[in-house]
Amino acid sequence: MLSNTRVLNALTALAALALVVLAVVYFAEPASSLPSWVPGHETGSAHHHVKHGIAAAVVALGLGVLVWFRTGPQAHEVAGR
Amino acid sequence: MKIDYFQSIVLGTLQGVSELFPISSLGHSVVLPHMLGWDIHQNDEYFLSFLVATHLATALVLFGFFWNDWMRILAGLGRSLRHRGIAPDDADAKLGWLLVVGTIPAGLIGLLLEHSLRNLFASPRSAAFFLMVNGVLLLGAERLRRRAPAHADGDPDTRIATELTWRSAILVGTAQALALIPGISRSGAAMGGGLRAGLSHEDAARYAFLLATPIIGAAALLKLPDLFGSAGDGVRGPALVGALFSAVSAYLAVRFLMRYLRTHTFTPFGVYCLVAGGIATVAIAVG
Repeated sequence: MLSNTRVLNALTALAALALVVLAVVYFAEPASSLPSWVPGHETGSAHHHVKHGIAAAVVALGLGVLVWFRTGPQAHEVAGR
Repeated sequence: MKIDYFQSIVLGTLQGVSELFPISSLGHSVVLPHMLGWDIHQNDEYFLSFLVATHLATALVLFGFFWNDWMRILAGLGRSLRHRGIAPDDADAKLGWLLVVGTIPAGLIGLLLEHSLRNLFASPRSAAFFLMVNGVLLLGAERLRRRAPAHADGDPDTRIATELTWRSAILVGTAQALALIPGISRSGAAMGGGLRAGLSHEDAARYAFLLATPIIGAAALLKLPDLFGSAGDGVRGPALVGALFSAVSAYLAVRFLMRYLRTHTFTPFGVYCLVAGGIATVAIAVG
């Protein structure tokens, strides 16, 4: 059971990291330079999707906090009961 | 001039009151200028810049009004991050994370869909219709609400933290996003959600105001550069006056509501929305 929790925590941390990268890409790259599979990609557009970047950063932060709590001493106490 | 000083006083005062009363500020700011024959349109850049100032003023007033609560909540959030968990008896930390959990869905929906929803529903006809829908939602929330003590003793923040579950916090937070449609009230959606979750009227209003503060403030801060850019040319003076009147009316509104809702329900606001939306619909159709 504990190993499942660890896997879940690791996956959540990876997702948070990926979202941080995505947020940086949204801030740094215009819509035309985004990969075609990323929401907001528009051929020939110089628009920067700042709001998409903020959204990705907020979700990354949320997932980061979730992992922080789930790997804390209180979570271990609950898991150990 | 795009917005004159008289209009800024009327719109600022209206925004402060209607942002906090569960009657939709966005709906009123779409319907009222149309009914008064003012050449102001919801999606014009200068009007959005004007709204940034009035919203920021409202958020600051809310933050100031609940200053002590926010200080406790922020301390609770810090404590929980340090201890990497929420202690069972730490109501401030739980309330803080309930607010975070409630803010994220509304914030994300707002960030990603605000522009398209506003374009889709910004007509006065649509706003008048959704004002009536808002009335139905408020009256429905009253009828379907879980029984809660009319005015229990003790600390209100602790009561809210005890009563609200994580699931209901997400639902109440998501319901706020309905307010992206002009005519649907953010505070109304949050207050109605709070009632359904088992909060009293007073606690539902308090939670709605706490929940509204970061989202109104963040949305205003995000658009603040527009006010100081070219979109703000010609409206900065009226925007400042509008913000002042918005701040005063928001303060009076929140003070009134926190007392009124100790002993009263949301029914009068629901009836008002139905009547006002109905009158506006007829007036727009005839005019």
